[in-house]
Amino acid sequence: MKKLVSLILAAIMLLSVSGIAAAEAPLSAEITWWAFPTFGQKDGAPAGTYEQTLVEKFQQKYPGITVKLETIDFQSGPEKLTAAIEGGKAPDVLFDAPGRIVEYGKNGRLVALDDMFTDEFKADVGNEALLNACSDGTTYWMYPISSSPFFMAINKEAFEKADALQYVNLEGDRTWTTENFVKALEALHAAGLLGGSVYCGGQGGDQGTRALVSNLYGAKIANEEKNQYTIASEQGKQALTLIKELVDKGLLEAGTDIVAGDEIKLFAQEVLTMSFCWGTSAAKNNPTSFTQVFLPFPSDDGVPELEYLVNGFCVFDNGDENRAKAAKLFIDFLCNSEEVGKDNVLATGAFPVRQSYGNLYEGNADYELLAAFTAYYAPYYNTMDGFANMRVQWWTMLQAVLTGAKDVDTALADYTAESNKVF
Amino acid sequence: MSTLSRDDRLFARSRALQRQQTKVSYLFLLPALLFFFAFVIFPMGMGIYTSFFNYTMGSFDFIGFGNYAELMRDATFGRSVVNTLIIVVASVPLVGVFSLWVATLIYKMPVFSRSFYRGVFYLPVVMGSVPVVVVWKWVFNKYYGILNWLLKGLGVINTSINWLGDARYAIWCVLAILFTTSIGQPIVLYVASLGNVDHSQIEASEVDGASKWQTFLHVKWPSLLPTTLYVLVITTINSFQCFALIQLLTRGGPNGSTSTVMYYLYDTAFKLYRYGYANAMGVILAILIALFSALQFRIMRTDD
Amino acid sequence: MTSLAKRESRSPYAVIMGALLFVVALTFIFPFYWIITGSVKSTEELNAVVPVWLPAQVTGEHYERLFVEPALRWLLNSVLMSVLSMALVCAVASMAGYVLAKKRFPGRTAIFSLLVGAMALPKQVILIPLVRMMNTMGLYDTLWSVILPSVGWPFGIFLMKQFAEGIPGEMMEAARIDGAGEVRTFTSIVMPMIKPAFGALAIFTFISVWNDYTMQLVMLASRANLSISLGIATLQAEYSTNYGLLMAGATLGSVPIVLIFIFFQNTFTQGIALGAVKG
Repeated sequence: MKKLVSLILAAIMLLSVSGIAAAEAPLSAEITWWAFPTFGQKDGAPAGTYEQTLVEKFQQKYPGITVKLETIDFQSGPEKLTAAIEGGKAPDVLFDAPGRIVEYGKNGRLVALDDMFTDEFKADVGNEALLNACSDGTTYWMYPISSSPFFMAINKEAFEKADALQYVNLEGDRTWTTENFVKALEALHAAGLLGGSVYCGGQGGDQGTRALVSNLYGAKIANEEKNQYTIASEQGKQALTLIKELVDKGLLEAGTDIVAGDEIKLFAQEVLTMSFCWGTSAAKNNPTSFTQVFLPFPSDDGVPELEYLVNGFCVFDNGDENRAKAAKLFIDFLCNSEEVGKDNVLATGAFPVRQSYGNLYEGNADYELLAAFTAYYAPYYNTMDGFANMRVQWWTMLQAVLTGAKDVDTALADYTAESNKVF
Repeated sequence: MSTLSRDDRLFARSRALQRQQTKVSYLFLLPALLFFFAFVIFPMGMGIYTSFFNYTMGSFDFIGFGNYAELMRDATFGRSVVNTLIIVVASVPLVGVFSLWVATLIYKMPVFSRSFYRGVFYLPVVMGSVPVVVVWKWVFNKYYGILNWLLKGLGVINTSINWLGDARYAIWCVLAILFTTSIGQPIVLYVASLGNVDHSQIEASEVDGASKWQTFLHVKWPSLLPTTLYVLVITTINSFQCFALIQLLTRGGPNGSTSTVMYYLYDTAFKLYRYGYANAMGVILAILIALFSALQFRIMRTDD
Repeated sequence: MTSLAKRESRSPYAVIMGALLFVVALTFIFPFYWIITGSVKSTEELNAVVPVWLPAQVTGEHYERLFVEPALRWLLNSVLMSVLSMALVCAVASMAGYVLAKKRFPGRTAIFSLLVGAMALPKQVILIPLVRMMNTMGLYDTLWSVILPSVGWPFGIFLMKQFAEGIPGEMMEAARIDGAGEVRTFTSIVMPMIKPAFGALAIFTFISVWNDYTMQLVMLASRANLSISLGIATLQAEYSTNYGLLMAGATLGSVPIVLIFIFFQNTFTQGIALGAVKG
């Protein structure tokens, strides 16, 4: 009997050893990782510094896999990706957001990640909207790591100087009204300071201006069924009319030549006193000498609807199973491993999608505020059909309104016609 | 021409020799033709072919003239064509006249000054679009650009102007930069051909009491015609292809006021993944360029 | 002729025109001057509202920052691309230009017309098919994807043909009588005769490949494979307001090519002018 038990034991041990061996069969592959600057760098280090440390850690753990890192920027990166996809050198792993990723997925360029969305993972995320943002309705294309609201920020000292801080709600979740927003702009203008810039030189960071326009009078970017772009409502018209008026009076700048990246830098350099495209990465990558005050977008009823960012990874289908496997392993390492999982969430400056990661920002007042913002999350429309085209129409529409080339009604009508062509 | 007829006589000697000559000629041409067909003609054919398809990142369906029909209705495309024509129509005569003016001033200068000026006007071409744009983008910057500082200092304007962000000015800013990167070669060409003008004729004309302008018109200008034709054609082609400046400077904005066909093509292909549609634009652009070049040849020929 | 020049240079008209020319020339030098001085100015001086014309103190910080990026690699890539294109274009174009000018064979006119016609074609029209081709050939994101299309471009053939037409037929006949084969005739008679054209075409190709931003933009992706132009453009997108860094990059990208141009200016301008003026 004893013999038998020991034999069985030995057999089990053998089996488990071979099982481990199978699982760790050294996978050998060379993969490329393209990263938008979503991870913040420490002390203004150049793009890619943090990412490179991750690559090194991963390669130590999986010596058979080599990861080649490429950093791209939000302005020229999207075009570069298109060229690379058509050029047959698409990256294996891309660190981006759902908008583009789901579009690539719909076009058959990605590897489905359904196997990574285990029941354990879905339960841990426990947020239907967030999970839906990663799929086109049938397939998961993006593996999310973190998420955070988009919001705006003001330069506290400048507001104080202009006596405009009185219009800003610094209590609780800081929600404020359109009326007070206008008053603050007037005070800034009277003090000879520039307010914000309605940037629309391109599509970079356009969610900021969409948030501004939609919140002012509670307009909706898209309908609930997600089959119409609907900003051309009464509320939308009202908002654009107000913005145009503010621009004409010099209270807001017509940023027809700049994109969000420029706006953020102008804010950090104290040329502008507010930014409409602030977010946790921007705050991390642009330390300022003044006090940044995070604010939700102003709305007429004081109840904002905030857009949010979901950071995540996708795997391109490069026709090589080994590379796809290695890419998934890499993503799993970045999001779920003991070594770097939580650090990576922190490096994006956003909230973890996994609830089990707990509160990573204990005692940080800014983040408590941002956590409060999540109560105001708006429906997610970035994975709708025609999203890429709608973005182009968006900034063209803003340019037309701000330069006076078209009146608000015409510009909105044209925008709606073009954007909804796809449905 | 005498060499030609001599060659002709030579190769008429025997058919065998001619066959051999043909073989040799094609062998010499082979590498060039290989590259030319592989990297110009073949992609051009592909471009034309795919312009009849709804060719995107995810699909490839034949739609006949569908892309072309859509182009005719596409307001942004229309505006891009107009902008392209504005750029061509404004820059071609300007470049021609200005480079001729500079050339007449410098071609008689001592070698050093002539080389100096020729080099200076070629400098922006040599530097390349990217470094040039880095500087100009700063010059036009609303908040700390030198242009606003200069104009405010001179009392021309009171408030800063958003040069690149204002539809009234942006295209002229692009034109100004395009101008600086376009006149280098024409000046070189004009200086050379002015140097070839028969001096005895000029002196004779001046002795006859002709004014400078008359001398220029009757003696120099006729011999400058071939150069002028060449200058006009290359400037036209360059202006039609204006892309790098726009991509780096304004990205077609504001409000499409600086979008050219070339830029819109790039945008459509690389931002919206509509390759077939973009290729249809390319075909139309090529036709436009061919028409303009033919027109210039025609006009210059009748002048002769 | 000299007396004429002297007389004219003293007239008030000439003085005014000379002054005007000088002022215009300054605006052409300005960008070059500005990137070089800008690359060694302090950040405060660069962001000053009142332009600072010369740095109070030369700083190397922007270059230090620049070399955190693979800027030297970019420079090397640009040099490699330009040199390889130059060599290939010169070799291929001189052979083709020579036979098009000096040989009579069926199809000659058709081929030449096709080549000249294609010169008017905007390169960008073939961008998308080219990207796909480079994909098939596995050359996308390599320097070859920029080099090969530049060799296909027919301008060099055109220039070489213009030159080769000037070679006297007698010389070639003499060589043939001496028993020289076609290849010998080409290397020992034709090539020395069109030497100035080689110089001009070499420099012309070098500069145009170096500055062919569009092709580089579409064909090169990895940071290590960028050209210097594309590298600076990338930095501009990433650090749009870090003027010091941008100026340092622009200096690194333009000083070498400007020096090459100054050094070879006469070869270049004469060659280009001769080729084109004849046409």
